[in-house]
Amino acid sequence: MKILLAGRISEVAELTGFIAPISSTADIHALIFGKPGEDEIRSLSVSKAIVAENADPSYADDVVEALKAVLGKEVYDYIVLVATRINKEAGARVAQTIGAPAITEAIGVRLEDGSPVFIRSVMAGKAISKETLSSPAVIMVAPGRNKPVDTGKRVGEIQRISISGKRSVEIIERKGKERKGVRVEDAEIIVSVGRGFKSKEDLSMAFKLAELIGAQVGCSRPIAADLKWLSEEHWIGLSGKKVRPKLYIAIGISGQPQHLAGIMDSKIIVAINKDPGAPIFKYSDYGVVEDLYVFIPKLMEKLSTRQK
Amino acid sequence: MNIAVLVKLSVDTSYMRLDQNNRVLFSEIPLKVSDIDRNAVEEALRIKQQGLANKISSFSVLTWGSSDKRVSEAQNLLREILAMGVDESYLYVDPGFVYSHLYTAKILARMIRKAGDYSLILAGEASIDGYSSQVPCRVAEELGIPCVSYARRIEVKEGKVIVERDLEDSVEVVGVKLPAVVSVTREINTPRLPTLLQIRAAMRKPVNIIKASDIGLEPMKKIHEFVAEGVKIQRKGVIIEGKTVDEKIEKLLEALAKEGITLYRG
Ligand SMILES: Cc1cc2nc3c(=O)[nH]c(=O)nc-3n(C[C@H](O)[C@H](O)[C@H](O)COP(=O)(O)OP(=O)(O)OC[C@H]3O[C@@H](n4cnc5c(N)ncnc54)[C@H](O)[C@@H]3O)c2cc1C
Repeated sequence: MKILLAGRISEVAELTGFIAPISSTADIHALIFGKPGEDEIRSLSVSKAIVAENADPSYADDVVEALKAVLGKEVYDYIVLVATRINKEAGARVAQTIGAPAITEAIGVRLEDGSPVFIRSVMAGKAISKETLSSPAVIMVAPGRNKPVDTGKRVGEIQRISISGKRSVEIIERKGKERKGVRVEDAEIIVSVGRGFKSKEDLSMAFKLAELIGAQVGCSRPIAADLKWLSEEHWIGLSGKKVRPKLYIAIGISGQPQHLAGIMDSKIIVAINKDPGAPIFKYSDYGVVEDLYVFIPKLMEKLSTRQK
Repeated sequence: MNIAVLVKLSVDTSYMRLDQNNRVLFSEIPLKVSDIDRNAVEEALRIKQQGLANKISSFSVLTWGSSDKRVSEAQNLLREILAMGVDESYLYVDPGFVYSHLYTAKILARMIRKAGDYSLILAGEASIDGYSSQVPCRVAEELGIPCVSYARRIEVKEGKVIVERDLEDSVEVVGVKLPAVVSVTREINTPRLPTLLQIRAAMRKPVNIIKASDIGLEPMKKIHEFVAEGVKIQRKGVIIEGKTVDEKIEKLLEALAKEGITLYRG
């Protein structure tokens, strides 16, 4: 089995973690975009590194061109990328060109009867799909879930390629998103708010609670997308961030599958909702049927007296 | 200029069915127009309303079975988008269809080419059932044209399309020459709800059924197989009872303490 990991050097390192369960007998090569140092390249656990120095991975066109160049010379069973938005474009295009199947947002892989079976979430998080793909296949891995792993391989050969850099898409402007240091993806405790809050001002209650217990504030889609009370970095769910805290406190969130899809990896889920029939209770460890406007102030009062 | 919209008839995730072995019974789940594809339809209609497009056609591949029941279900759903204002629909029906995004994209590309001259091809960023986000850019590659995804604003101008697109850490404004494929996010607009009158009028609009022989596709092979299983809820589902809020809070804090979680900053 031959596997090509492609991406920025940090992404390639992350991908060694993803393929660890299938890598023992595989030959693993890396296609690296950009200009990493020689030491950095040698620290990767792969047997061959191909460096595309002039490929800018923020352009899908560059990723596609570099991949096509490499795949034109060598055949791989699996071409593996991190499923960033740009890579999802590039991966789909490359797969179509080489006539291959592909999967996006793979969350795991294991060997069954000697062949890799890839795992992903489908049906808005309500089902887990186990997929087998004929080779060659393109695998796009859910970001941020894997740490570099030493597969025992050492870089023997470093090859350099360059691309023409011809692009079909012209970037007119690129604005960084405002990040106020919120990273719900990394939070240990999340206080998450939904439409149960009646106004933007009322969210300050949630922020105060979060401050008190050392949590980050998350939210359901309507709060960020429709009402725009919070920025998108707080948005959790199928089309938002996927989180994995020790404790997730859902307040005034009904528990629609698209929201639940983002919180499945939480260790403990607590739900506060005034409707005893809210679906969130079925998907929680502990539920409190209560008006949030009564619950939050009381909870904060309790916690601050305890703290003293 | 004509606009093609890719419309997936997804299985409706709110009506998931499982067999005794906990496997998803895709064949028994009702279909619906994939939510984000409605946004793509809406965007096409807005471009047409600006006087920038003549005709809007929708293209669908029936991927979840091709029984008569499925076909009529699909036709009824396509009436919904015809009622929104799409001019005509193309629906690919093939009992020999083999699941793979590769084939879906090949079929869509051939249907589009055969149906006419389309400068802009719009689609949703992903379909609600599989959420793979593969088909739009695959179709672009098949047609040999550029692909821009995750659009939250689109402007058609002088043979070009200017797209504001949403990436993880940035918002980009990009320009591409037409023809091009653009996939949109749910944030781009709010899809219109057709009136009763429009729904009735849509009965007269054509849903063209396309068969394998119409587009001459080589036989499809099994290259992508999957088995989906329902996620078991592994949560405790305990409802904290109590006469007063204070009592509920005490009990909640106790329960969390037993889980090793204390709720104040150390
Ligand atoms: C393709 C697609 C993608 C989507 N992606 C996402 C996503 O990524 N993330 C996401 O969250 N959603 C997503 N959605 C939307 C999702 O379907 C729901 O619409 C959304 O999650 C609902 O948000 P909510 O729970 O805050 O609001 P609601 O469903 O309106 O629920 C509000 C809840 O608050 C409770 N409540 C009201 N007042 C009080 C009070 N005083 N005290 C306590 N409780 C109260 C109510 O009982 C209710 O349960 C997506 C939908 C689609 C179609």
